[in-house]
Amino acid sequence: MLVHDFLLESGNRWPDAEALVAGGRFTYADLLNASSSLAASLAESGVKPGDRIAVLTDVPFDYIVSYFGTLLAGGVFVGLNTQTSERTVLKLLSDSGSSAVLTNRKFLKFFNTSRITIDSLNLLASPGGGVVSGIACRDLNEMLHAKTDSSFVPPIIESSALAQIIYTSGTTGTPKGVMLSHQNLVANTLSTVKYLGLTENDSVMVVLPFFYSYGNSVLLTHIAAGGKLVVNQSLMYPNLILDQIIKERVTGFSGVPSTFSLLLNKSAIHDNSFPHLRYLTQAGGAMSIQLADRLSGALPDVPIFVMYGQTEAAPRLSYLEPEELRRKPGSIGKAIPGVTLEVLDQSGGPVQPGEIGELTARGENVMLGYWGQPEATAEVLRDGRLWTGDLATIDAEGYLYLHGRKSEMIKSGAHRIAPREIEDVLLEHEAVLESAVIGVDDDILGESIVACVVLKQSDACSEKDLINHCHRILPAFKVPHRIKFCIELPKTESGKVKKTELKSYN
Amino acid sequence: MSEYASRVREFIVSNFLFGEDGGNLGEDDSFLETGVIDSTGILEVVAWIEEAFGFRVSDADLLPENFDSISRLGNYISRSLAQ
Repeated sequence: MLVHDFLLESGNRWPDAEALVAGGRFTYADLLNASSSLAASLAESGVKPGDRIAVLTDVPFDYIVSYFGTLLAGGVFVGLNTQTSERTVLKLLSDSGSSAVLTNRKFLKFFNTSRITIDSLNLLASPGGGVVSGIACRDLNEMLHAKTDSSFVPPIIESSALAQIIYTSGTTGTPKGVMLSHQNLVANTLSTVKYLGLTENDSVMVVLPFFYSYGNSVLLTHIAAGGKLVVNQSLMYPNLILDQIIKERVTGFSGVPSTFSLLLNKSAIHDNSFPHLRYLTQAGGAMSIQLADRLSGALPDVPIFVMYGQTEAAPRLSYLEPEELRRKPGSIGKAIPGVTLEVLDQSGGPVQPGEIGELTARGENVMLGYWGQPEATAEVLRDGRLWTGDLATIDAEGYLYLHGRKSEMIKSGAHRIAPREIEDVLLEHEAVLESAVIGVDDDILGESIVACVVLKQSDACSEKDLINHCHRILPAFKVPHRIKFCIELPKTESGKVKKTELKSYN
Repeated sequence: MSEYASRVREFIVSNFLFGEDGGNLGEDDSFLETGVIDSTGILEVVAWIEEAFGFRVSDADLLPENFDSISRLGNYISRSLAQ
């Protein structure tokens, strides 16, 4: 089975059922027709199986049909983070060797520059088309709607073929493209549909971006089940989300801890009831016991699935059954169907109950590797397992608990942020001698970004100067929330910054 | 522009446009559409209003009609202070 078979099957079974509510209402037939049309246009434009197609759009309909259109054409889908900078976009286009970019007008500014020197790029498409910096920009709307009666036949693809590259922040700040095959994504999607019990009667409120693996999973599981996606990916006005949950009779809601924290702290959740909501899912970091209690208090009859995963696992690895939330607080549960999880010591042997080791995974969902990075791949794919880098314990009943990461990644909102990238950008400022970036506990975000900076000369620049400098280069979500000026950074004998010590000061 | 709207503009330009020329941001431009403020930014706006104007912003007030442009925010502050 291939990933786009989910849309083909649901589209043939329930053509008139609503599939998407976002800036309009769209049926499965609408999604299937536009995806097929795009696939035919891409093939006509010379896109061949295995070609990477980058998609940078915040229009949910365009994103979804670009996803399935790319796969139907045999291409590899590369979804780019819309909270981005020119530097990042160009880096990822170059790294992925994308031959086409499908985008919308607001992002054309990234391409309206002479700095585009990506040899592989030969197709740029955006609604309305035009000419951008000498590159002919095709009209994306035309590509989506021109050929509904096309005789286009999708190429034959093996299930082991690469379907999607999802970029994650590498620990060094260099993004890593996680390569997921059709088989990886299909296996994980079917397993998740099964344990959540999703059917064509389900509808989900989507606040998570599709370009991260959690949102990608919400998308695929609902298309596979024939359900409905109600999309509103801005959490600026949480009350609007609650209104939509009620009005659209939403049955499921997926978030990260900061999503739920925001709803509990900054919305009228306590003044509303949600009679159709039958479950919540939470992933993207451990939910504190206090937050779980408050959420259960606000939504007493709604089961909460605490889940754990990694982009490298397409992404789901474990879940805690809702009825165990109180008996096993803080646990990420057990492996999902089709996945084997083991906590191993450094020599690869199983740890005793309660002893900390590294969480490892086996299953059809484990990625093919990192795009163009065989060494980084070999570090995490060893002995037929994915070594997650997450430290964990397992109790006598087989329930798993996380105890931090081997790496220093900051989890802020729905984002994973590599401190190194921000440190490098700070060092580009002429006044900065040294910098160390850490995540500090934050009630809403999970962690906020704090940069500890040593200046070459004291008073050489202000906090605002450095924030502005970061803002010019980095996407907004990577800009430090606070700069702390230090006389020196605490270091080990080998000269490594003691970040744990810095965290304890903050 | 009202006094409150001017103060809102000053705060937005200084904290979200990072000192860049705020002349391009119209009084009625949507913060959501223009991407000037995100979900955590709006919390900073709430904190600023509470501190600068001395009233509590109710969670139920956190709606686009009150918050989604310089003029709407100016009017919201003005209405809240008059209550």
